Amino acid sequence: MLTLTHISKSYGARGEVAALTDVSLGIGQGEFCAIVGASGCGKSTLLNIIGLLDRPDAGQVAFDRRVIDAGSRAEAARLRNELIGFVFQSFHLLPRLTAWQNAALPLQYRGVSRSDRRPRALEMLDQVGLKDRAEHLPSELSGGQSQRVALARALIGAPRLLLADEPTGSLDSASANDIMALLRRINREAGLTIVMVTHDRDLAARCDRRIELHDGQVVSAEAAA
Amino acid sequence: MTGASPHSPPSLSDAFIEALANLRSQGRRSLLALIGILIGTASIVALLNIGHIGQAEAMKAFNELGVDMIRIQATRTSSGGHAHFDRSVIDALSGREAMVAEAVPLALGSGRVFSGPQQANLSIVGATTELAALNRWRPVSGRLLRAIDDGSTVAVLGSQAAASLSAPGAEIGPGSAIRLGDYVFTVVGVLAERDRQMLDATNYANAVLIPLAGARRVLAGDQPNVVMVRLRPGTDQEAAGRRLSAMLADPRTTVQVTSALEVVAAMGRQRAIFASLLAAIGGVSLLVGGIGVMNVMLMSVMERRREIGLRAAVGATPAELRLMFLIEAGLLSAAGGVLGAVAGIGVSLLVAMVSGWEFVLAMHVLPLGPAVAGAVGLIFGLYPAVAASRLDPIEALRAV
Ligand SMILES: Nc1ncnc2c1ncn2[C@@H]1O[C@H](COP(=O)(O)OP(=O)(O)OP(=O)(O)O)[C@@H](O)[C@H]1O
Ligand SMILES: [Mg+2]
Repeated sequence: MLTLTHISKSYGARGEVAALTDVSLGIGQGEFCAIVGASGCGKSTLLNIIGLLDRPDAGQVAFDRRVIDAGSRAEAARLRNELIGFVFQSFHLLPRLTAWQNAALPLQYRGVSRSDRRPRALEMLDQVGLKDRAEHLPSELSGGQSQRVALARALIGAPRLLLADEPTGSLDSASANDIMALLRRINREAGLTIVMVTHDRDLAARCDRRIELHDGQVVSAEAAA
Repeated sequence: MTGASPHSPPSLSDAFIEALANLRSQGRRSLLALIGILIGTASIVALLNIGHIGQAEAMKAFNELGVDMIRIQATRTSSGGHAHFDRSVIDALSGREAMVAEAVPLALGSGRVFSGPQQANLSIVGATTELAALNRWRPVSGRLLRAIDDGSTVAVLGSQAAASLSAPGAEIGPGSAIRLGDYVFTVVGVLAERDRQMLDATNYANAVLIPLAGARRVLAGDQPNVVMVRLRPGTDQEAAGRRLSAMLADPRTTVQVTSALEVVAAMGRQRAIFASLLAAIGGVSLLVGGIGVMNVMLMSVMERRREIGLRAAVGATPAELRLMFLIEAGLLSAAGGVLGAVAGIGVSLLVAMVSGWEFVLAMHVLPLGPAVAGAVGLIFGLYPAVAASRLDPIEALRAV
């Protein structure tokens, strides 16, 4: 469902830091894919480009063979809202909003009314096992619980693709396992395509497929399952 | 897919609820900016309402006499003697001068007036029936002076004058006797209360009116020392004043001319002083308030970079982010504006009280305060809002 062709991205005033060099990849519908590699090899850069948060210097991103050409930032924002759910290492919950309000945030940018957002957020929180914490503020939640709220937020808009950049990076191993199990379950039950960046070999091993980057290039991409 | 259509922006009510919550979390900083806006708005609202009050006051001062009046007063020259006009000259004015519609003489003096044990210092006015008509006097009891009273010792009292000569149980009224100098006058009427008009030669409420023809008995002479002149509409008041004073002046008498327009202009000057003072305060305060709003919003954008990045990631467009911060700035300012409008009305009430003017509320001024404040908020909030919308979501998410 996702095809990257000849993606390159470099940073610096004269493009002296090559973050990605000629990356081509295909990811199938329903795949749970791990991106691995040493620090600084370009994993986050790749994820940001897939997630339409960043634009490549060269190359194309296509969903379902349709090349995404987000002409403007507004267009990119709308496509993100419609197609992509994000989970970050540091949760990025808004501290003044309760768990359900955080989970409901993407719906706000679809014009869903406040009264309609709440039941849907509660339903999502129920799916990640956090219904009883709906009215709590992020400061009252543990790391694992916070990440589950973030996961509910990523899923509430029914995205085509879930992007997770080290989702377990700031969790203890028990919570990390819980989150991984949750991701697996969502992938299996809803058939959601997931791309996850991780440093954890064990977690990577539990994915359908591992893509290894080295210095901005794909060094091994196991065949699509 | 889920119910609502994708791509529709968040509802405005959502945006307002969020903006309120965000402002509340800014606490003291929001408050300072709000106070700046408040003072600015208060000054502007006060300015406009005082202008309105002053104008109403000016109009009130002329609504009975009209604005085509001038008052000509004889004042003594250094050579001394009683300054007065010749009644015959004045009576001839309205016939001979094309610009004069009506010329009404009166003699003005003052003296101690007795009524039994009561006494008071009152204005004494030698008046004619024409003066009564010009001033639209109405008796509250008894009658006004009549032409046949000329020469007889009858008097009409102003409302305050009657009150100050009355004793408990001995109300003064038609039939009462009062003494002026060596003469006893019979009261034939008391004037109804009436606002003092701008060109009134004296406060008639506090005066005793006697026939001009018999005024010699208690005043220095029976010749008038004041002339009220009604000009024909469209006459140049300044030129008319100059011409009339040239005609009426003689070596013993100098002439002082006061025109309605002149008084209006003087009131206008007084209001202009208030106005420029308040405009200066208002402008400076709004500027300070606006900069305060900009400061609050810039700090807010800095502190909430991660939030901005996250909102962008989940689908907020730059325009939606911009709007979010603009609403916060506008709301902060509009709140200051509403409070400022209330404070401004209070200030104008105070000024009206100090100036002895009647307080009126200019309804059209009320929405202006918050509107101006809101506009200031939007103008000064624009830069922070644009800055927020220009943040790179990746950078913003990485912020600490
Ligand atoms: N905004 C930027 N400006 C300059 N260089 C950048 C920027 N973002 C990333 N880089 C560089 O691009 C390269 C790839 O960065 P990226 O964040 O994708 O690595 P990563 O694989 O996610 O690393 P980590 O595992 O530490 O998160 C690195 O060399 C990094 O220094
Ligand atoms: Mg990274």
